[in-house]
Amino acid sequence: MAGFSRRSLLAGAAGLGALATAGALSGCGSTTSISSDPKELVLWYWDRSADPKLLAIAAKEIPGTNGMRLRADLVGGTFDTKLRTSLAGNAYIPDLTYINSNVSLYFPNESMFLDLNDLGAQQYKDLYFDWKWQLGVTPTNRFCFFPLDTGPTGFYYRKDVFDKAQIESDPDAVSEQIKTWDGYIELGQKLKKNVGSFMDINAGVIFGQFINASPERYFNKAGKLLYMEPNSAIKQAWDTAVKAIKAGVTGNQQNSTDQNAAWTSGKTAGHIEAVWWAQILTDTAPDTKGKWRLASQPVRPGNSGGSFVCLPHTCKDPEAAFKLITWMNNPQNQAQSYNNMQLFPSALDSFKGDLMKGNNSFFAGQDTQTFFLKSAESVPTAFISTFETQAQYFGTEIINVESAGKNPDQAWEDAVNQTNKTLRKRGIDV
Amino acid sequence: MTATNPAVSTTTPAIKPTTAPAGRPRNPLKRFWPQYVSVAPFYILFLVFGLFPLVFSIYLSFTNWDGMGKRTFVGLAQYRYLITDARFWNAVGNTFIIWFMSTIPMLFFALIIAFLLHQNIRFKGFYRVAYFIPNVTSMVAMAIVFGSVFSNSFGLINSALQAIGAAQIPWLSSPWGIKFTIAMMVIWRWTGYNAILYLAGLQAIPTELYESARVDGAGTWSIFGRITVPMLRPVILFTVITSTIGGLSLFTEPQVLLGNSGGPGEAGMTIVLYQYNQAFTQFDFGYGSAIAWALFIIAAIFAIINWRLVSERDTDGNTKRRIRRRREVAR
Repeated sequence: MAGFSRRSLLAGAAGLGALATAGALSGCGSTTSISSDPKELVLWYWDRSADPKLLAIAAKEIPGTNGMRLRADLVGGTFDTKLRTSLAGNAYIPDLTYINSNVSLYFPNESMFLDLNDLGAQQYKDLYFDWKWQLGVTPTNRFCFFPLDTGPTGFYYRKDVFDKAQIESDPDAVSEQIKTWDGYIELGQKLKKNVGSFMDINAGVIFGQFINASPERYFNKAGKLLYMEPNSAIKQAWDTAVKAIKAGVTGNQQNSTDQNAAWTSGKTAGHIEAVWWAQILTDTAPDTKGKWRLASQPVRPGNSGGSFVCLPHTCKDPEAAFKLITWMNNPQNQAQSYNNMQLFPSALDSFKGDLMKGNNSFFAGQDTQTFFLKSAESVPTAFISTFETQAQYFGTEIINVESAGKNPDQAWEDAVNQTNKTLRKRGIDV
Repeated sequence: MTATNPAVSTTTPAIKPTTAPAGRPRNPLKRFWPQYVSVAPFYILFLVFGLFPLVFSIYLSFTNWDGMGKRTFVGLAQYRYLITDARFWNAVGNTFIIWFMSTIPMLFFALIIAFLLHQNIRFKGFYRVAYFIPNVTSMVAMAIVFGSVFSNSFGLINSALQAIGAAQIPWLSSPWGIKFTIAMMVIWRWTGYNAILYLAGLQAIPTELYESARVDGAGTWSIFGRITVPMLRPVILFTVITSTIGGLSLFTEPQVLLGNSGGPGEAGMTIVLYQYNQAFTQFDFGYGSAIAWALFIIAAIFAIINWRLVSERDTDGNTKRRIRRRREVAR
């Protein structure tokens, strides 16, 4: 007590006040960027979405810039929440950020991101798959989200199980047999009858991948609701999934423990999923090495997953940031990212020559790069709306049909009504 | 400051009394400032991380907000929607069913375990630690184990059922199976914790009571029913209250076991999971806040019920007197 005099208290209070003022000033007055160093750009990404070797080069100097450096922050967990929080607070915003395949969530707030066309993005357009490029174009035709990796899909299957079921198991033969969804279900019935195995873990996968391979989804670019129209793509996907349930070709495996065990044991002998699933399979079912093959899925392949990179409006040096984007995603570097991280390129020229070196031993040497390249070339261009998150009830209801035996017509009606109700709440005219 | 006479200012501390001069009471803020400064960090943190979010969420519940764009004021629209939202009421129902299915057996088991631990047994310390371990185990690890034990076609329990020729139960895809599995996780995690609380309560019961009961010829179970349980009433009430709070805010168990959707048929969707789903996967922060305040009202109702239970004890005499009365009646 004796150490404190009124004078020292006043001095201390003044000091604290000055500190607080300084803090407040640096918070609102100057930069909203997370780094105040004018030579440093900050990128937010998540684990396994960027090649660390490229990030290390850019950390020294971003190629083609005048001494700009990159600081790459690995942001874990709820990435979207963290990004939205910094954008909402207008503070600590990264200069560049990755965004996952749910990019359409950001369409209503597109003004918070720079239009990359203003930085000359158009001249790079032809380097990338058009359908992937279009996914980054907002409904008002601003190009805010630059392509990173992609997720072309295919039908993974266990050749050994197909052999046991006396089904022609060569990839071409399987592709031929499942050219249509009817063919897929027929083959599934044969598989089930002969060895008791399923074609996929559950009907939700069929519903989802049907939509992923469709040029038409829940809404069109003008915001019109499509799912209620007779014979809409959503209704067709629904009917196909219901048909598969009734034919008993899906496994009703709704949790991951069951799913992984089913693939390992051969109880489920197939799965329609994107290129990145190969890595998951290699990690979770190493004992099945050499037993898996890839065939074309019914009708046409789709896209599942794949990320984007964008520049928040507060980016301190958009030109340098755009240089970084185009450098990291040039065909050579995308091919290198595939070799190091299994990030499947969106740049067409990555596939030229022998830039890409995949290890295909898990698929007994089947050339999976060429398979997925062909797949990527046939993915239809589609528009994903912000409001698709409100349409999740369709997926919920198809699970109810499969796992609880709910009447499919009732389930469809419930899904439509619940979606409409939620959309009305969000201020959409239904 | 410059006008102050230096001679006065140097001499005043020497003659300044430690208490305020009579007739002019000093401002307590001035008098006790070191104490106020030392407790300030808590209040500052509470203001920033406690009170501000609380008030902000009231405001948010009257708006439409996707978490980053414009906030539009919608009045009571979120609450009106809430009242007609079947999914919300499903979540309320699920929460109460799971709470019932877990709390009653959990507290019962905890009491038995505490009673047994209180006996003169060997390796007491080991058992006490062992019963506490589930409470500090990582939830994610737990979810993986429970997922493996209860999974439909490859789970341990269903394999065992199959081995003895019984029908398999769809634990993780049927409405009751899901609720049962979540309740089992809660029981597994919190039984030991409550047992330790009960044990502390047991140790506070005077041993003479037990001794005289023994002399009177009472057996273990009649001692348990007639002395232990009544004497533990305050601790039991405490555990009921904490379990109510825990049960109403059940989130981690269903989330790690079933994901943000609450599993097939949303059978494992609890109120807090629904709130999280709306706010952080649908980015509907206005509605998420409204759900939070609805939960607050539900919790407040239960707090009032609990409070009534506690105050009833005060009006009709303390527990000791009641036991005496009971023993007199028994005689």
